[in-house]
Amino acid sequence: MVAKLPKLTGLGLVALLGSTSMTLADVSVEFWHSFSKNAGEALDQIIDNFEAENPGITIDAQHIGNYNDIVAKLQASIPAGREPDAVIMEVTRYGLFADRGVLMDLTDYVENDPLKDDLFDFAREVGVFDGKNYIVPFNSSTPVLYYNKAILEQAGVPEEPKLETYADVLAVAQQVQAELGDEGISGIAAPGQFARWGLIMDNDSDMIDSVSGEILLDAPNTVEAYEWMASLVHEHGVASADGVTTENQGRDAFLAGKVGMMMNSTGNYGRSVAALGDDLVVAPMPCNKVCRVPIGGAGIGILSSAEDEVKDAAWKFISYAASAESNAIWFSTTGYMPINKHTAEQPLAAEALETKPGIRVAIDQLGFAKGRPRPPVVTWMRATEYDMWQAMALGQRDVTETLDDFAARTRAEAERLAK
Amino acid sequence: MLRKLTPYLFILPLMAFLAVFTYVPILQSVNLSFREWDFMSPTKLWVGLENYQLLLSSRDFWNAVKVTTIFAVISVPLRLALALAIASYLVRETIVSRLMRGALFLPSVTSTVSIAVVFSWVFSTDYGMINAGLAWLGFERVQWMQDPQLALYVIIFVNTWKQLGYDIIIYIAGLQAVPTELYDAASVDGGRRLHVFRRVTLPLVMPTTYFLLVVSVIDAFQVFTIVNVMTKGGPAGATDMIVNMLYRVGFTLFDIGQGSALAVILFVFLIALAVLKARVIGRKVHYEA
Repeated sequence: MVAKLPKLTGLGLVALLGSTSMTLADVSVEFWHSFSKNAGEALDQIIDNFEAENPGITIDAQHIGNYNDIVAKLQASIPAGREPDAVIMEVTRYGLFADRGVLMDLTDYVENDPLKDDLFDFAREVGVFDGKNYIVPFNSSTPVLYYNKAILEQAGVPEEPKLETYADVLAVAQQVQAELGDEGISGIAAPGQFARWGLIMDNDSDMIDSVSGEILLDAPNTVEAYEWMASLVHEHGVASADGVTTENQGRDAFLAGKVGMMMNSTGNYGRSVAALGDDLVVAPMPCNKVCRVPIGGAGIGILSSAEDEVKDAAWKFISYAASAESNAIWFSTTGYMPINKHTAEQPLAAEALETKPGIRVAIDQLGFAKGRPRPPVVTWMRATEYDMWQAMALGQRDVTETLDDFAARTRAEAERLAK
Repeated sequence: MLRKLTPYLFILPLMAFLAVFTYVPILQSVNLSFREWDFMSPTKLWVGLENYQLLLSSRDFWNAVKVTTIFAVISVPLRLALALAIASYLVRETIVSRLMRGALFLPSVTSTVSIAVVFSWVFSTDYGMINAGLAWLGFERVQWMQDPQLALYVIIFVNTWKQLGYDIIIYIAGLQAVPTELYDAASVDGGRRLHVFRRVTLPLVMPTTYFLLVVSVIDAFQVFTIVNVMTKGGPAGATDMIVNMLYRVGFTLFDIGQGSALAVILFVFLIALAVLKARVIGRKVHYEA
């Protein structure tokens, strides 16, 4: 037994050292996101590549649902102490979480990372709230105007129609509706909230002024934009009411070849190509009064409650996800815009730019793209806007009266949140 | 001493479970209903009755009360009447009735979310099966989910379709417990079918009816999933029921104080309703033939 003692001691030491090194090196980052299907697969590929390069870090990626689901679940997880370590947050809705200290200030991480100089200015800007960096963009987008070439041709619309103003878009939608309405084809999908914001911006207005924070929901140009959007459904009948109550139904109908045009995020490019193939054409958003589009999408933030070593690991992942290599995978698969200045140099991205002409439209729009406001009240405003839009689009309430009421309630809520 | 404690020890595990998952959360909700909190702020500011005052003076609250009441008043009698009628037919032990029982019960054990998603498409204005059928017959398309006058009835239909199978099975169990001699006696006395149903069947399934009434009223006031998936309370608040409003206020608008106040109001109301039902209807229920 005595003779075996050195051996046993040695084995014990090896086992102890082994377990200690496991404990020190292995870090797991719980990461909540909103991507499924082809976007989810692209994210998985990025995570696999990251884990291969960083053997001690595991990214426990969990698909939670859409952006609204993430906000609701994150909020509920906080008092339960079950929040994740990192989370994807939509670019206008992280302000409340930053303001309440839920998200950690990433400024130091950003300043000490070469990524700082590699990100486009718009990508840096969308992550800044109150002068500090809280998220790093992962999927950035602008709305674009998709149309189904085959449907427009069938309706007798000339090739490459002029779609620069509200009137141009309405004229094409009306022609499609008149020619093909009996076959169950609509002229245009009712605009979703992101597209509505874009249409307000290109009517030279906004929902909230991104500099002064002034609420502009009842500004004349905002009212005019809503009047036009609502008229597509209840006055001209060129957009199906289904897309008003369930926004995704408008998109799904477009993908099914039942709608002529759709204004939606560039993030839908991948699935639109898959559904419509060569019939898909991507055009810039109209420039009714000015050319301006909102920047959408989401970025990754780190929760203040995470442990320090987890925060470091999470940052490593965020930085990796925003690198040119990862961004090229993401951009070429989904159609979300490049956020890294070197993405286009990557072979995957270069090939996508070469073979998928529609993918370039959003990039060309960056010259007049604008970050949106993100004060705490935006989360409330966006949640309430759906009801207001339904009432206006379905002709149940007068547009001016609805927006006056909505603006007054938003101002009151902003005051309450500022207390 | 131990003998006295034994029964309490037996129920202790269940009481502990109920305390942790039911009673403590109820008490916490009551506490939160007097505070202003958004789940994130470290402080929960005491605001007294302000949340209740805001709710009672809000247009949305009274709309939700109205919509929920209409839903309950229509859907509960509809469910019970349909279930009893169908159960009276399916109570016979034949192969067809056994198959029908299984088929009708299936929606009760199917995911509510799946049902709501499927019916969203079935009732879709431009792409739905029902409107396609109407169009084929030469009728105009109907805006089922967009017309505030219709949307609530669509929700009532879907909810009834989902819950009916459960009610039928319970009624069948109730009907099977009715002694056959009573029917024989009624038959000998020359009672007509409707008369026998009114004088024999109905009184004897009263305990079942009472049970289903209590359960379905509570269910009607707590409908959420179908509404959340199909309409989110729209259009223009036409299907905004109390629990949907509670979710919106608490989890979308970040006002957990008002959300809790709404939950407390609903809790108190349902208890009051249960007591009222026990006093008014409970006395007419007889458990022996």
